Amino acid sequence: MAFAAPKESYNGSVYAVTIGTGDKAVTVGGENALQFHSFEGDMPNRPLIAYEIQDVPPEDWPENVKKVFDGVSDCPVKWAKFCQDELKARAIALRLVGTHPDREDRSAEDAAKTVKDVLAAIDVPLIILGSNHAEKDTAVLVAAAEAAKDRNCLIGKAQETNYKTIVAAAMANDHQLIALSELDINLAKQLNILITQMGFDKERIVTDPMSSALGYGLEYSYSVTERIRLAALTQNDQIMQQPILSDIGMYVWKVKETHASESDQPQWGPAEDRGILWEAESATAMLTAGAEMLIMRHPKAVAAVEALIDELA
Amino acid sequence: MALSGVEIFKLLPKTNCKKCGQATCLAFAMKLAQRQATLDMCPDVSEESKKVLGDAAAPPIRPLTFGSGDKAVKMGEETVLFRHEKKFVNPCVFAVEVTDTLSETDIASLCEQVLNSEMDRVGQKLRIDSIAISNASNDAGKLEAAAKTVAQKAPGVPVIINTTNPQAAEAAVKIFVGNKPVLYGANAGNMDAMAAVAKASNAILGIVASGLEELSALTEKAKAQGVEDLVIDSGARKAKDILEHNTLIRRAALKKSFKPLGYPTINFVTRECSMTEALVAGISVAKYASIVVLGSIEKWKNLALFTLRQNIYTDPQVPMQVEQKIYNIGDPKPDSPVLITTNFSLTYFIVSGEIESSRVPCRLAVIDAEGLSVLTAWAAGKFSAGKIAAFITESGLDKEISRKELVIPGYVAILSGAIEDKLPDWKIVVGPREANALPTFLKSRA
Amino acid sequence: MLIIGEKLSIIAKRVREAMMNKDKGPIQEIALAQANAGAGMIDANIGPAEDGGEELMQWMVTTIQDVVQLPVCLDTTNFKAIEAGLQVHNNDWGKALINSTSNDPERFPFLELAVKYNCQIIGLTVGKGGLPADAEERCALAAEMMGRAMEYGLPLEDLLLDPLVLQIATCQDHARHVLNSVSMFQSINEPPMKTIVGLSNISNGCPKPLRPILNKYFFILLENAGLSHVIADPKEMAEAAHDRQMVLDVFSGKEIEDKAKMVEIQKTIDVLMGKTLYAHSYLEM
Repeated sequence: MAFAAPKESYNGSVYAVTIGTGDKAVTVGGENALQFHSFEGDMPNRPLIAYEIQDVPPEDWPENVKKVFDGVSDCPVKWAKFCQDELKARAIALRLVGTHPDREDRSAEDAAKTVKDVLAAIDVPLIILGSNHAEKDTAVLVAAAEAAKDRNCLIGKAQETNYKTIVAAAMANDHQLIALSELDINLAKQLNILITQMGFDKERIVTDPMSSALGYGLEYSYSVTERIRLAALTQNDQIMQQPILSDIGMYVWKVKETHASESDQPQWGPAEDRGILWEAESATAMLTAGAEMLIMRHPKAVAAVEALIDELA
Repeated sequence: MALSGVEIFKLLPKTNCKKCGQATCLAFAMKLAQRQATLDMCPDVSEESKKVLGDAAAPPIRPLTFGSGDKAVKMGEETVLFRHEKKFVNPCVFAVEVTDTLSETDIASLCEQVLNSEMDRVGQKLRIDSIAISNASNDAGKLEAAAKTVAQKAPGVPVIINTTNPQAAEAAVKIFVGNKPVLYGANAGNMDAMAAVAKASNAILGIVASGLEELSALTEKAKAQGVEDLVIDSGARKAKDILEHNTLIRRAALKKSFKPLGYPTINFVTRECSMTEALVAGISVAKYASIVVLGSIEKWKNLALFTLRQNIYTDPQVPMQVEQKIYNIGDPKPDSPVLITTNFSLTYFIVSGEIESSRVPCRLAVIDAEGLSVLTAWAAGKFSAGKIAAFITESGLDKEISRKELVIPGYVAILSGAIEDKLPDWKIVVGPREANALPTFLKSRA
Repeated sequence: MLIIGEKLSIIAKRVREAMMNKDKGPIQEIALAQANAGAGMIDANIGPAEDGGEELMQWMVTTIQDVVQLPVCLDTTNFKAIEAGLQVHNNDWGKALINSTSNDPERFPFLELAVKYNCQIIGLTVGKGGLPADAEERCALAAEMMGRAMEYGLPLEDLLLDPLVLQIATCQDHARHVLNSVSMFQSINEPPMKTIVGLSNISNGCPKPLRPILNKYFFILLENAGLSHVIADPKEMAEAAHDRQMVLDVFSGKEIEDKAKMVEIQKTIDVLMGKTLYAHSYLEM
């Protein structure tokens, strides 16, 4: 019996979303097959890894990733330039954790100033993230969106509880939008419907179905991502064809496996390699499931994943 | 495609004679469909039915047992392309490569690493399952010597003999007779001889080809020689090719009933850089490999790969559960809060994570609710006032704490009265409904 | 089709309060309304009922049967409460129905009760090892329960197989698995096994206006597949009768006159059959 390669061809494809401006703008998505399945489709855009920076020093990051940014992480502008110029970041994700009411409770105005200063210092695209406090984010992201006008940023995250104001701000200031749902494909679709019912272009949305670290729910994030990607391709569901974001670094560097010292857990080996691999392996799994955009922290994890993407392209 | 239980049932005598050990023909049909029974257990099945059942009932990816005794591992039996459809059946095998050019000491050391690799995670034992002994030297004597060392230093561990030399193969595989090893290295040039060795020694034959057409032809050749326990390698070594070939093989077997590729797959992912190797291995694990051969097995790498395998192979219909007990988060004092929740692992990780980020030390009582989340467990009667009261009483908590207050999840506020009746010394406090409100809740009470 | 009225459930506030206060009024009012709307049996759902379950179930059974001449479906996980209810059940108008047993060993004693009291029992096709993934797995569980029923001495015609309806909002794929199960359950025995579903589960968690739409159209498809019993709102079932032909026409690809209704039916069928992802606003798309 002769072998005939069982290739798939799909009715649907993923929207291409561009962030940033000028020659440093980056486009993700656009594929018409599962990620890296170039043997049966077109993969016009390489997945994007953005480096995470914050508006306040990362006191709560574990030492092994915090120390990489010693000397720059006390100032978002320095930090952003370091990522762009030294680490060759193709995009930067500024997380405004300092605005969270339980943290430094920085004001929306403070946040807007940080955004302005960072944008003045870099050419690569900027992703602007709130602190994930649903209420405070409405004020913060509105101010940030205004401060970032004309730079085609990716603003997030809009959730079911707070999307109206954030969508309006993204529309008014010509940004792309991250829509966040919690590991629920049906709620992800519902949120997209609500957002587009406000007049927001469905092709300017990036879906964040919520990521989880390896060992801490990864399989849920993995499967919901696969299901979303398959719905886009096989059902040609126009409201579910957005590229997918995996905001993975934040989850990974919270877990025990990236904190514990080797002396506390001798059977786990050295902490530094362990933490880097934990982030890189989580990212690899999410890429395999279909995420086209990742937000990560450790440069060595990023380098390992970029090398893998080279090998998969 | 394998027959369904109902389709099999239609081909059985339907007499419910019970000679097969099942109460009804229907029950037997279901067992057959799940390969928990064999057709020869039914003495009355017609010749015609036997034919149909024999051909069509075979699983699309051949089931194999690799190794023997308590270290044996199962492969094959897969039925879906995506884990959300149905669980992936047999977790992939991790093997570490031992080359026969290494010194005996180095080989012994690798063997020891394999034996010490076992870890416990969420109640499962995870380990490096196998050792691949590669004939890098091309010298039959060296291969045999290396095999002897492995047999001695890692007894019972399932072994892959990796050589393209049939004489070397024969000598080495003898050492593992009775342990169902894999004999890998059969290719277009040596198939007849290698198949003969595999057949004589009852080994699984590992076939390597350059591409899927050649691979299909080679498995047919092996089958014609009476060797059907096969693992297959398309020759893919780059991540891109591994992904493509593993996917096409799985699709061909499942969706096209293409028997020549209906076998477990073996991927060699060895790399200079251990980090890169770990990520390529990750692609293999997620995308359909049955055996993943690594070059090195550092503890930090094993931890990540074992966890990834565990995550990918978790049954989507069965919640992962953590152990029922009182977990100390931070360093709780006698007056630290006591909270209770169910043992669904995701619930546990989320709730304990929120408690940790609140920086308020607490005791988290986790009760066995068969892995159900709070609301579901309550509805099923598995997170009831009686069960909660019994657990708290039997835990001996009242000796450790000065403040007998129990924080219950907001979704089961309805239980507070009933729990208070059954725990008369305790005050019940209704906590938030969502875990992410815990930090604010805990800090406000601190 | 036997309709079992679902409205007397502890989840409903008015009913819960009536149960707590042993206030017969609301219970009898609702029982009567359901009987008048076409129910052939009344479900009494007292929840896990850890405390005072026996008393409560007996009170419910007698209160209901005082005003309607129908058998009762005893709905609780409390074994003693079931037995107590069976002891006072009036069998003149039909056998009682135990809700439920399953393939979980903790539920086997309920099967014994059905034999002891010569009543019917619902068998949920679920076991201890998690939810069944598809129709195949439900069938395997059904086969085991049927074998056990025969072993215990329960006539198979008194076992109603329930393929476990799950919420479409979170378990969309199971809607079509349930539909396939109902068909399959009929090929596994001669005469075909009786089948039953807790219909409203399909729309649990959906916006209120969607619930009757999902309930009714799903019911029509299930009935078309051979469903023999249903636990549902009898009023909704009466409305479903109106829509039956239209739904079946659209399901088989025919055009119907009422175009707006046709769109509503088609979208709902697409979601039930897994052709389109469910979202709360699916009808607006």
